[in-house]
Amino acid sequence: METFRNLIDLVSVFVLPAIIVGFPLYGLIKKVPVYEVFVDGAKEGFNVAVMIIPYLVAILFSIGMFRASGALDFLIDGLRPIVGAIGIPAEVIPMGIIRPLTGSGSAAIVLDMINQYGEDSIFVKMAATMFGSTETTFYVIAVYFGAVNIRKTRHALPVGLIADFVAFLLAVFVIRLLFG
Amino acid sequence: MLNYIWAGLIIFSLVFALAADVRDLSADTYRNGATLPVEITFQSGYDASQRRVPVTVGLSETTFRDFYGVTHAVDTVFSGTLIQTSDGRQLRFAEDAALPEPLATIRSVTSRRDNDLRGPVVGFAPPAVGSRAVTAGVTFDRVRFVKLNSISAAALDFAETAVTLALGLIGALALWMGLLKIAEESGMLHSIVRFTQPVVLKLFPEIPRDHPALGMIVLNLSANMLGLGNAATPLGLKAMEELQSLNPTEDTATNSMVMLLALNTASVQLVPPVILVAIMGLQINQLMIAIIIVTFCSGVTAVIMAKLFGRFKRYRETDPANASKVLEG
Repeated sequence: METFRNLIDLVSVFVLPAIIVGFPLYGLIKKVPVYEVFVDGAKEGFNVAVMIIPYLVAILFSIGMFRASGALDFLIDGLRPIVGAIGIPAEVIPMGIIRPLTGSGSAAIVLDMINQYGEDSIFVKMAATMFGSTETTFYVIAVYFGAVNIRKTRHALPVGLIADFVAFLLAVFVIRLLFG
Repeated sequence: MLNYIWAGLIIFSLVFALAADVRDLSADTYRNGATLPVEITFQSGYDASQRRVPVTVGLSETTFRDFYGVTHAVDTVFSGTLIQTSDGRQLRFAEDAALPEPLATIRSVTSRRDNDLRGPVVGFAPPAVGSRAVTAGVTFDRVRFVKLNSISAAALDFAETAVTLALGLIGALALWMGLLKIAEESGMLHSIVRFTQPVVLKLFPEIPRDHPALGMIVLNLSANMLGLGNAATPLGLKAMEELQSLNPTEDTATNSMVMLLALNTASVQLVPPVILVAIMGLQINQLMIAIIIVTFCSGVTAVIMAKLFGRFKRYRETDPANASKVLEG
């Protein structure tokens, strides 16, 4: 696994410079006025960033309020017995709930769990696997749809949340299988 | 669905904050107006004329627990300062002291700026000759509606964070959008599209053949897999723009957009996020195989769910592609 990871790491290191140099170089060969075209395209960057602000504000402030009110802790406590019944340890529930809501919050949870249970704990492994294998669904939805002004997101949210839930269950079972 | 979840988050925040505050009020969690007994020790002797006297503040664990009705373990010695003025005496705990609850909450509400818990001293008598310690009482400012205040503060805080996050993307967005424009104009994107579309078109059947959106999607997914988060977002947003150009409506997501979102929220990645590597250190090597299995399965689930949900009646009815057909027909 380590050699595989080194290989992928190596590829990631070279991909960026290859693209950043390769695209303009290829354009130059194809006689494209690269500088003018680049600037023309880059102009859009600012607009897109500004476009997503309202969407991101809407999502982040509601999640922030929900956490600050203590409702999140209540939700986690309420879910303990239910998910305990299907064999999921109560220790990893906070991660399962917070992962789709906030990225920085989930990172804080992994850190907190390391302090609480120790680095080698199976709960930390489960939480880290959840962190590494999914994205912050609400953030991605706000940013991606925000950039093109889509307000009716149809089934994007349920699909994202179901995928998160599957990742949550699998993280528990795969880690149990490998380390339990 | 997003409408309900969003409104739910806000309404439940208010309900829970109110409930917590009413509970605090009725249980008198913060003992507003009552006097907490403390032992004040003057390490370097007491001088009545001195304005700021360094002291240590001792709490008796049993008294403290009875007083606030808590059961957790409590540190009992803190450093502080006794301020003496003609108006009376005030006790200040040292800034950022590790105070037990509920004192920490009282401090965060009453001394937001300096972060030092303070309150007037009552029943103070100078220590007897030869003694360095006296017992006295201290009262703190009233603490009410903690949660209500904190949800408003959180709302404002996070609104600011959102803007910071969005503006922080400008640089990466501009860089990638510039590079992509070059790729488009030079025909490179077209080659990527032709090379990969047999596979991508299966997931995105609504995109016309040879459309640049296919190339953007490929680039976005590859960047995701390689863990290039900074590049993946701009590429994904560019892909969304291309998809939007195919969208007959202005504000409703197409099936292709939902599929792209599904692939991004499930984020199939072969390289774990930088922050996780930083947190877990060498341990990450052990977890790689687990992460790859989980991320792959959740990615497959997302694709299946996106296809499946797309067939549900309520999502078929809202499909922009169908809406345009109805209009044309």
